Amino acid sequence: MLKRIMSKDSQMRAAINQKLIEMGERERLKELLRAKLVECGWKDQLKAHCKDVIREKGLEHVTVEDLVTEVTPKGRALVPDSVKKELLQRIRAFLAQHATL
Amino acid sequence: MTGYQSYYLAVKTSNRDFQMKMEDMPLSGPDNTRLEALAHDIYSELVEDACLGLCFEVHRAVKQGYFFLDETDQESMKEFEIVDQPGVDIFGQVYNQWKNKECECPNCKRLIAASRFAPHLEKCLGMGRNSSRIANRRLASSNNMSKSESDQEDNDDLNDNDWSYGAEKKTKKRKSDKSQNSPRRSKSLKHKNGEIGSGVGAESYKYNYNTGISYETLGPDEVRSLLTTQCGVISEHTKKMCTRSQRCPQHTDEQRRAVRVFLLGPSAPTLPDADAVETDSFDIPDAQPLMSRLQWEDSDISPTDSASSKASTNHSDSRKPKKKKKPSLPLNSGGGGSGSGSLAGGGGSSSQSNISISTKKKRPKLSAPPISSIYDDLN
Repeated sequence: MLKRIMSKDSQMRAAINQKLIEMGERERLKELLRAKLVECGWKDQLKAHCKDVIREKGLEHVTVEDLVTEVTPKGRALVPDSVKKELLQRIRAFLAQHATL
Repeated sequence: MTGYQSYYLAVKTSNRDFQMKMEDMPLSGPDNTRLEALAHDIYSELVEDACLGLCFEVHRAVKQGYFFLDETDQESMKEFEIVDQPGVDIFGQVYNQWKNKECECPNCKRLIAASRFAPHLEKCLGMGRNSSRIANRRLASSNNMSKSESDQEDNDDLNDNDWSYGAEKKTKKRKSDKSQNSPRRSKSLKHKNGEIGSGVGAESYKYNYNTGISYETLGPDEVRSLLTTQCGVISEHTKKMCTRSQRCPQHTDEQRRAVRVFLLGPSAPTLPDADAVETDSFDIPDAQPLMSRLQWEDSDISPTDSASSKASTNHSDSRKPKKKKKPSLPLNSGGGGSGSGSLAGGGGSSSQSNISISTKKKRPKLSAPPISSIYDDLN
């Protein structure tokens, strides 16, 4: 029973994700998020953090994985509330329109 | 910053359910949580994408070697650090540092505020676009005013009230003239008059003060041309000719004729309009000079001063022979003709037709036909 629900759920998710991509909404959301993060200074903050990590690890030996593991959690935390709220609103609006339940 | 962030996260996670309920308003009932969860998942994916993008960018910059390019040595970094103090911009410079400073103008030796220095120099040196325009405008308007000024000197019989009124009028006019030229001019005229040493401004003022023309310096042709357009009556004080028009109310036609006789010889050409209008009534403030002038006409003495007239015998000598030869003398370019006491003002410059005018009384009538002939000549 749970599996069916879950598979239905995952089906629905898959369908919605597909719709997002097909309609270009995902791209738009991505661009919107990027722009807002640059505006609010999130990118510069995170870049400064990157500098610290690089200085720590040494310029020659930094790998992508190092950076990702160091940066992503901080990045997630640093997103300002207003940006998050706006994005969620847009996603919800899309879902309300296109999610068939 | 990080302390606040961690606190914020703690609060956030504890209140997540609360927050979700606040945000969930547009969606309907039981699917709420699922859709909400979905929305959050989508959001998280988007944020992770952004982070990943940044990581790739940074990693590439590091590997290509341009990541640390905006950093130099510690010393220069400190030198160009952004300044955040009040009253100072981000470079550390004061905003209106030069506002209160004054500079001495090399031309007029005045102390000018720094922000007004450049426009002042433009006007002072007479260079730059607007300075010549303003100077021309001043000259044009001062031309009109200069005639009233020279008449002030003529009317020595006017009482002091009139004189000061005239000066007031002059200053008032000048002030309005200045304000037309540029809105900022509010300095007193006396200040300006005294201190402008050179440049266009001074020239215009000098022109104002020296507008009277002295007949001694002019040649006969110039005198003639002047007399045809201007009143020309010579002031007793300054020996200068009035520069007003032929109909100027300060002087009568008698005076004008006297001047013309004096300057051009007894057979000078007639005044164009004067004789037609002229009457024998003398309602002029300075009756005495006029009477003395009338007396010259009869006795053929130079008309300027009764005192000086007898001294200058040359004029009278040169005139007497001409006078006696009245009717037969043809007019030469010197403006001959005859006519003992009769004056005829200048209607044209040089070659006039034969004007033979015998007596005073016949003047009004005789002048009518010659006038038309003068105009024919002119045309």
